[in-house]
Amino acid sequence: MKRLKLRDTTVGRSFLRSPDRATERDRAAGHWSNFLLHIYPVKVRRRELHFSFSWYLGVASAVLLASLVASGIYLMFFYLPSPSSAYGDMQTIQTQVAFGQFIRNVHRWSAHLMVLTVAAHMARVFYRGAYKAPREANWTIGVILLVLTLLLSFTGYLLPWDQLAFWAVTVGSSMADFVPFIGGSVREVLLGGDQVGSQTLLRFYVLHVVVLPVVLVGALAVHLWRWRKDSMFDQAAAEEGGEA
Amino acid sequence: MSDQDPRIADGKRVLGVVPGIPATGAQKDPSDQDLVMTSPHLLVRHAVAALAVLLVVLVLSILFDAPLREVANPFETPNPEKAPWYFAALQELLALFHPVVAGVLVPTAIIGGLLALPYIDRNPAIATKARKVAVAAFTIFMVTWIVLTLIGFAFRGPNWSWVWPWEEWHGEL
Amino acid sequence: MSRGIDRRDFLDRGWKTGIVMLSAAGFWTSWDVLRPLPGSGLGGVVNTIPANDVPGSTAVYVRTAQTYLTKIDDEVVALWQKCPHLGCRVAWCETSGEFECACHGSRFNRAGEVRSGPSPRGMDRFAVAAEGDLVEVDTGAVTEGAPAGSAESIDEPPRGSGCAHA
Repeated sequence: MKRLKLRDTTVGRSFLRSPDRATERDRAAGHWSNFLLHIYPVKVRRRELHFSFSWYLGVASAVLLASLVASGIYLMFFYLPSPSSAYGDMQTIQTQVAFGQFIRNVHRWSAHLMVLTVAAHMARVFYRGAYKAPREANWTIGVILLVLTLLLSFTGYLLPWDQLAFWAVTVGSSMADFVPFIGGSVREVLLGGDQVGSQTLLRFYVLHVVVLPVVLVGALAVHLWRWRKDSMFDQAAAEEGGEA
Repeated sequence: MSDQDPRIADGKRVLGVVPGIPATGAQKDPSDQDLVMTSPHLLVRHAVAALAVLLVVLVLSILFDAPLREVANPFETPNPEKAPWYFAALQELLALFHPVVAGVLVPTAIIGGLLALPYIDRNPAIATKARKVAVAAFTIFMVTWIVLTLIGFAFRGPNWSWVWPWEEWHGEL
Repeated sequence: MSRGIDRRDFLDRGWKTGIVMLSAAGFWTSWDVLRPLPGSGLGGVVNTIPANDVPGSTAVYVRTAQTYLTKIDDEVVALWQKCPHLGCRVAWCETSGEFECACHGSRFNRAGEVRSGPSPRGMDRFAVAAEGDLVEVDTGAVTEGAPAGSAESIDEPPRGSGCAHA
């Protein structure tokens, strides 16, 4: 019996545009015409499938980012970035909003884990020697992504407006004071004053929910695009060629 | 006929019948450098990895609540005051060295060094044996950083004095 | 290249210069927009307590000015609560007669001079004036403390144990 498939209908064909996936050629065509799959190369080297190759740390970081975006959007509905309401909003989220405490936990744990997986991803790539030509630029973009991850985590740290948040940001921003020439003004622009206050909370909020995520997703797009482009590169053949 | 759609007869596909040995020869051993289709080989693995990560997040979120201390108070610094764990190594350095060294030079050198790593290490070799210096340097850096992070996170108490974590716990997540 | 730059070079350099100038203008404008408005934070003159109530052997905290008041050689001194290391609030410890910073363990004597710890200089001081009977603290006029390692101006060794584990 022939099962009716979505991609055999007129509507399905117009959206998916892929032929019946019988041969490898058809599957490749389906891959190319799929928006979500376009971040993946059509083919990869077999070694990339093994756990020991990557420990799947890159994909873990991406999944945690998605989890952070989803839980972060929920939290934004219940949070106002002002010293008079921020802490109260946190208490409301934890005690009155349905699943509020759980969503906050997901956001917090995903953030901690993402710092961990991004750093571990970097270490794994180092030990695999995967930063070498032709992948130098992508390593550099990866380091930028690590810094952005840390900045996102740090700006988010202030938002609960509790003692943990306030003093951690006071200490962190005071370090800027010791940068020669520009340090003092950088800190003032970051904090919106000379001490952590209402302006700081607003600024960190804007950085945390708009500026840094947009920059991070943009840099991530380049990172993945570069990964796809370089995925066909045959490291073993290159090494043989190098030695010959 | 080679590039046309395969014929379908009785729900089965006839690709052709060729007498003799297979044109591709005997089955060769799969090599790690062979190309395989991303869909499904890599995709299913990524899907499983994604589910595993989400499971970890789910379990952690059910078991441990995110901390919320007292409301921010500019007139009272908690003691000990701890930076987020990923800055614990930096905080430990700040307690030991002048802030220009620990707060400016060291972070700048680390980030700058990491950014420039592929342009500093021009050795094309991949095998660990052939790049001992780079591997040793990176490993020393990582181990130092992890040790400093652990010290700052778990082994420091009030006034940044040394404590044993099993006697007094001051870590903050 | 006896003709100097030709038209193609001129236009090529022109649009690149234009892009650079536009980026610089955009950056500067953003920076300027984000600079804090004047008058945010501390900076005002605060009337505190009568000068006669400022103690000579301990320190009293004035919350409105974020300041510790004490007397050194019969002169009122206003020490800013902010640790010159990384901005934590320095706490006065009565049992040892020292200021202690919770963040990285810096210690200061009663005059705000560094005794130990990573702080690069002594506690900053605000200018003080007499307003009738009261001590007037000008939180806009900050004098930085002496660098770490300078000799202490008062002879007051720690009286007892610190407050770290109190």
